[in-house]
Amino acid sequence: MRQNKAVIAIFLMPAVLFFCLIFIYPIFRTGLMSFYEVENITSGMNEWKFSGLANYFKLADTSLFRISMWNLFRIWAVGGVAVMLIALFFAGILNSGIKAKKFFRAVIYMPNIISAVALATMWLQYVYNPRFGLFTTFFDAVGLTDFAKTQWTAPGNKFWAMLFAYCFGMVGYHMLIFSSGIEKISPEYYEAASIDGANKLAQFRQITLPLLTGVIKTNLTMWSITSVSFFTWSQLFSNVVSDVDTISPVVYLYNQVFSGGNVVTERNAGVGAAVGILMGICVVVVFLLINLLIRDDELEY
Amino acid sequence: MAKNKLHASSGVQKQTSLIPAYIPIVLWVLFTFVLIGWIVAASLSTTRDIFLGKTLEFPTGLHFENYSKAWYSQNVSVFFKNSLLYSIISVALLVLVCAPASYALSRFRFATNKLIQNGFVAAMGVPVVMIILPLFSSVSRFNILNNDTSIRALMIFLYVGINVPYTTIFLLSFFSNLSRSFEEAASIDGCGPVRTFWTIMLPLAQPGIITVSIFNFINIWNEYFMSLIFANSNATRPVAVGLYSMINSMKYTGDWAGMFSSVIIVFLPTFLLYLFLSEKIIAGVTGGGIKG
Repeated sequence: MRQNKAVIAIFLMPAVLFFCLIFIYPIFRTGLMSFYEVENITSGMNEWKFSGLANYFKLADTSLFRISMWNLFRIWAVGGVAVMLIALFFAGILNSGIKAKKFFRAVIYMPNIISAVALATMWLQYVYNPRFGLFTTFFDAVGLTDFAKTQWTAPGNKFWAMLFAYCFGMVGYHMLIFSSGIEKISPEYYEAASIDGANKLAQFRQITLPLLTGVIKTNLTMWSITSVSFFTWSQLFSNVVSDVDTISPVVYLYNQVFSGGNVVTERNAGVGAAVGILMGICVVVVFLLINLLIRDDELEY
Repeated sequence: MAKNKLHASSGVQKQTSLIPAYIPIVLWVLFTFVLIGWIVAASLSTTRDIFLGKTLEFPTGLHFENYSKAWYSQNVSVFFKNSLLYSIISVALLVLVCAPASYALSRFRFATNKLIQNGFVAAMGVPVVMIILPLFSSVSRFNILNNDTSIRALMIFLYVGINVPYTTIFLLSFFSNLSRSFEEAASIDGCGPVRTFWTIMLPLAQPGIITVSIFNFINIWNEYFMSLIFANSNATRPVAVGLYSMINSMKYTGDWAGMFSSVIIVFLPTFLLYLFLSEKIIAGVTGGGIKG
């Protein structure tokens, strides 16, 4: 027994050590930091000035941060609905008995393995390019010449252009999760329903959806976790240091703490810590809501 | 079995009734091909031809020199080597750190087992912004950011640390599924638990280790946020940050063909991996873990 304990300790020690150094300690320190005024991010704790909830109030009072939260909400809600619907739709198609299922599945998932910087560059510099871009060329070719002149990445359009491109890349992952759920549903249900005269759509609504609650929860949770860290796309789609159109909370934090830029009126890393804590709270709240609203007893993936 | 019966009935009639299902998915796939295909074409074209709308015609032939130019003069070779270094070493270390931990969590009963597992699962939902500030302040107080070698070591340390929870949890199901009779036989033969793990159990979990290593490699290769903060010098940048800095400088040089070839260079390693291992990767997304 004693030997077992030593073995367990040896086996677990490195992983747990990393876990404490990279997760536990920094999370607590970020939490603490968010209640202090911290002039320089490198300053030691003895230089911190306690300020209670001042950092949080300050954020609530900063219009740029409020805009970034609004953007994040739109990315999460609008993008979420779009991605979930398209992913579910494609997952349904994949499992309807079409040929070359594996090929379609592999191509649709493919954007997920590409660097977000490369993918965003492809969209920005090619698809949305006003001179030789895919959209301009395509709409010109089909005769929609006025529509072809749209400046896709001009202020006002830019946010939606970014979200559209981002969602295109995200569909594949969520489609795979939905698809794995659908594959686990016994085909006998569908056979019985077909005999009873239920069409494909009715089968989907009456059989597929109710049996997918587990995967729906997984998908919503994963979507929320990825949304909260929204950064790369926002940074690539903005031309100036803080582009109001596309700014996200993480970009706001990055500009506040790490890059100089003209937006920083006052250096206070405590505000940055408060942003981090707020993002963590977002994940927890969404997670609790998902588990409260979607009851799922029998299925887990 | 019932599934096969269904598939057997899928004749010409079935496929015809599925045409409405084919249309959206074929369009989506077509768009993906046009997107990637055009970038590949542009990377072999010239800036002039791209702007004349003749990207797909190659009036002046194929310009492979775009690649050599990007590789040598745009520093892409350095970024590429950095990314290879960060991802390969981190992936190897992750196996060394996580496989034993995962094995212990799946095999032994002890007081903190469930707590550690729950902690690791929760950590997978922790946004990086919640941990980045203290990491940065510790790192700058130890003067790590003044020296290229220490930055490289730091990046590997961070990449290992950030992926420990995911890797450990992913491997958990693989170790739990291995029969206990292997260990029993080994212990009868007088083989200690440490040696049993390295020589018998680890090789048996190989499919899981390969899958999780592919995921770790792709994630680390594409990682952007942390390297932007910690490894943002010419000598230490990985490809994602390097590409971003190149795109920014491209605004002044105007070498579009060169930029597209850099995009392809960044995209190629994970794409090739995917080309050969897509089935394994897809099975890993849905079967093994809950994170892609």
